[in-house]
Amino acid sequence: MMTRYGTLILAAVLAVPFTAMPVRAADPFNELAEKTNQKMVKVFGAGGFSRLNNYGTGIIISPDGHILTVASQLLDTSELVVHLYDGQRLKAQVLAVEPELDAAIIKIRVEGKKIEEPTGLNLAYFDFAEAAKKPLAETGDWVLALTNTFEIALRDEPLSLQRGVVMARTKLAGRRGVFEFPYTGDVYVVDAITNNPGAAGGALINRKGDLLGVIGREIKNSLSDTWMNYAIPVQAKVDIKIKETVKDKEEEKTITVTMPDFVTQGMQGKYRTVTRPKTTVGEGGYHGIVFVPNVLDRTPAYVEDVVPGSPAAKAGFRPDDLVSFVDGEPIASINVFNAWIKKNTRSGQVLRVEVRRGEALQTLELTLGAQPTRPQPTQPAPMPKTP
Amino acid sequence: MIACFTTRRLLIAVAATLLATPASRAADVNEATEKAMKAASAKVAPSVVKIETAGGAEVVGGGKKGPGGPPAIRKGTGPTTGLVVGTDGFIITSAFNFANKPSDIFVTIPGRPQRLVAKIVANDQTRMLTLLKVDAKDLPMPDAFPKAGIDIGQWSLALGRTSDPDADHPPSMSVGIVSATNRIWGKAIQTDAKTSPVNYGGPLVAINGQVYGVIVPASNRAEGETAGVDVYDGGIGFAVPLEDIMGVLPRLKTGQDLKRGLLGINPQGTDAYNASPIIGAIQPDSAAARAGMLVGDKILEVDGKKIPNFSTLQHVLGPKYEGDEITIKLMRGDKEQELKAVKLVGTTTAYVNAFLGLLPMRDDPGPGVEIRYVYPKSPADLAGLKAGDRVMKLAPVAAPALSPIQNRAALLGALQRLSPGTEIKIEVKRKEGDKVETVTAKLVPAPETLPEKLPLPSSAGKAIEGQPKPKGKEPKDKDPFSPGCGSEGEDEPKKDEKKDEKKDDKPKVETGFIKRTNEALGREYWVYIPENYDANKSYGLIVWFHDTTEASKDGAQVGRTFRTVCEDHNFILVGPKAGGKDGWVPSETEIVMQDVKTVLGQYTIDKARVVAHGQGNGGQMAFYVGFNARDVIRGVGTVGAVLGTNPKENVANQPLSFFISGGDKDPTLKDIKESKDLLIERRFPVVYREMKESGKEYFDRVTFDDFVAWLDSLDRV
Repeated sequence: MMTRYGTLILAAVLAVPFTAMPVRAADPFNELAEKTNQKMVKVFGAGGFSRLNNYGTGIIISPDGHILTVASQLLDTSELVVHLYDGQRLKAQVLAVEPELDAAIIKIRVEGKKIEEPTGLNLAYFDFAEAAKKPLAETGDWVLALTNTFEIALRDEPLSLQRGVVMARTKLAGRRGVFEFPYTGDVYVVDAITNNPGAAGGALINRKGDLLGVIGREIKNSLSDTWMNYAIPVQAKVDIKIKETVKDKEEEKTITVTMPDFVTQGMQGKYRTVTRPKTTVGEGGYHGIVFVPNVLDRTPAYVEDVVPGSPAAKAGFRPDDLVSFVDGEPIASINVFNAWIKKNTRSGQVLRVEVRRGEALQTLELTLGAQPTRPQPTQPAPMPKTP
Repeated sequence: MIACFTTRRLLIAVAATLLATPASRAADVNEATEKAMKAASAKVAPSVVKIETAGGAEVVGGGKKGPGGPPAIRKGTGPTTGLVVGTDGFIITSAFNFANKPSDIFVTIPGRPQRLVAKIVANDQTRMLTLLKVDAKDLPMPDAFPKAGIDIGQWSLALGRTSDPDADHPPSMSVGIVSATNRIWGKAIQTDAKTSPVNYGGPLVAINGQVYGVIVPASNRAEGETAGVDVYDGGIGFAVPLEDIMGVLPRLKTGQDLKRGLLGINPQGTDAYNASPIIGAIQPDSAAARAGMLVGDKILEVDGKKIPNFSTLQHVLGPKYEGDEITIKLMRGDKEQELKAVKLVGTTTAYVNAFLGLLPMRDDPGPGVEIRYVYPKSPADLAGLKAGDRVMKLAPVAAPALSPIQNRAALLGALQRLSPGTEIKIEVKRKEGDKVETVTAKLVPAPETLPEKLPLPSSAGKAIEGQPKPKGKEPKDKDPFSPGCGSEGEDEPKKDEKKDEKKDDKPKVETGFIKRTNEALGREYWVYIPENYDANKSYGLIVWFHDTTEASKDGAQVGRTFRTVCEDHNFILVGPKAGGKDGWVPSETEIVMQDVKTVLGQYTIDKARVVAHGQGNGGQMAFYVGFNARDVIRGVGTVGAVLGTNPKENVANQPLSFFISGGDKDPTLKDIKESKDLLIERRFPVVYREMKESGKEYFDRVTFDDFVAWLDSLDRV
């Protein structure tokens, strides 16, 4: 009863201020949008054919005309142009690009001046360093997106404002390499349809006008097979594992790439793009599990047999076990398992494998070995996918 | 109690905003609302579980593209969402999450580290829900929002577990309002919060933390677990009220799948909104048949609710399950009757067309119907009926007396109401010597065979004389096949015109290939009128749907192909044009039918022989139009076409026959055969022809002749 009452009172309370106040004051987003709009640009560059747009959005991060946007094909041109909020049309040039953050810094270039020289502009801007010091936004936070979605705005027309909430803070990729997408850190998923053509590089802000993130591209999430609406947080941080050869010895090294570092150094023209070697970790350790014939797109990872003396045999795998999770990652099929092992493991690595045995999940510790020189019984090739 | 305190504290916080200065109030209200939303999510979060699956198909649903067909959905591999509905381990979720038939299901409960193996207990096949059971105790139950209190405009939060893999984090939240209640035939709440595979199975939550319902994909146009997924994040999402779910939970727990409760009746016409709910047909062995309902009964009330039209009836029956009992008040003749405890059934037995084995002579004003042709070895043949005899009266053997058969329409109508196996008595006036005899015959299911060679003429040439007198008292809608046009009012002056023409003995009707433009829509279509057009004969109508993808027959070409057919067998051709190059779209049905109805109004058309005919994607459109304009279309003939949607039921008062063909080298032959099998399964009369050494070509000679025989025998009984 109490809760029922509660709803009624709550509804009444919420309704009062809206009706009792002048329209303008009841609409705090208006002021915010006007202010933020001055800190945004429309970007025009390469593309314009076969579904690649030649337009996008950018965020001004210095009075001198430094702009943060997405590292897209748009920038592959010497004819990069931005439109300011007041309709000014200015040339711009790329200063730095980091695919690991899917970010780029461009700078407005004034006629007759070199790119390193101050432009003499005095633009409204987001203080990126300040924004990056704030804590991350939480699920349920109200947010606003400002983008040039569908190239609806030209010259002095304001960008489009959208309202939504942070739907989740999560990783887009990296869980299973499900995306053809370089950025592996956390993103804000938004419940408004923000990621449309032209929106990439737009700003995600909170109700107070703080910059939260950079609106990303149009990407389909294969976990749910839905289009994602996401922004990369200003605090973005990615750890990249690379292999380096030091004194003829191969060593694994972790490099941390952060958005604040990229922006600070990029604005000074000092940023060096991370070169990621093709292979990250080993080619996959040896386990010795023989799965059932892999005849479907998603054949469940049932163990048919275990190679005697193999790591799987030592770990206690048994025929009919269903490999369900490896290091917490769900294994939907044999293909997923094989891909995961190949991408993420090497000899000597210890995996926590949960198998379904009867009606319960059992956790087994699997210490991978080196790939044997002689080929082990291989899986039959998966059936060709029907178109 | 804890929940109550939380709410109270929140109220104090919100109430405080009233005391703030006016300028900051709006922002503070937003702040308070934002907090309330997070609190609501936090309140339900412990009951929102993560579901993971292994195995199963990559692509589900649809598979066959076509107008109106559900698109194939690629099922994501990520986790999905469920809601606790029993402290002892019962989880309810959307059936969509298992549409790909995974082999294994695991559930993670927030705050508990161990993943649990889940079993499917049962499915609710009408609300597309699945009940799972895990071995767990003391699960936190969500609080249901009272269904009666759900109002349009209330905040609604859609929660899910797909986006963030960690079940101990807050669930994903998308915010909207309640857009409508009682949607999808009274089964769902509608919201503008973003719903998608990211939160199907999760709760739709009110701002006080009570649960409105469980998020499911849904559509009022299609059924099945993937229906409605194509409009995900489209601002139109649905949730099944939790109160309803809790109501049927005891039945689901028994492990029995729940099906939609069906009455098994079909309306007389197609106007579900204006026409009275008069029964046009009753499915055999259905709830209606068992309760003794009859064709012609008018439904007045169901469970005390007035039923002004069929649409209301659908809304009242929509939420019902198999086994539910309803009370029906109906009008039979001029007497009201009440049927109590009519038990709805879960499956209906398909209607099977009964077959006597003769072709009636057309345009014969009667009394009686001349027999044009008798199918060899048919019940009519076995009973000794001969071409030239006149059928005068007819009734089932069990009936007390024979009913007079005025004309062909009456004969078709009388036999539609009977099922195979029925023994009938026929009073026949012999051609030889005018002798009147009574014979008996046992009706059989309609066979696949076509008459080898059809005798001509097929028409007595008295179509206009055969028309009921303009101010006659005969019930108009009892005669679905009467020659002439659909809308009687408009038509009458034209009949007079035609009579005048007849006096001149030279009809002034323009013949040949005529291009026309639909004035209102500016779309072109063409008509082919045979040179020997005679308004006193009723003509069949072939609506040709061209293939938009390939160089397919069109316009004049089709006219040439059908020229002799049109002249000898009395057919008119009409050819609408697809609006786009990418194929036909379902919404074009209405436009096409406008053109068809224009033609119906201008010429003497035999309503028993209006056929949708098409090749390739045009054939697919022909299938679609056949099922969606059933008041007009009586046959569908296709070449190399695949059924885009699941076939609808075969009903007595809107018969539909099929002629399906495909080339043996057509790569889609397998799908064409599958389409044919689906139709046969629904007990539609289907003629199937596979053409040798043929890919995507039009009919070969042999098949074309068969097609013509089929066209000319659509009014068989």
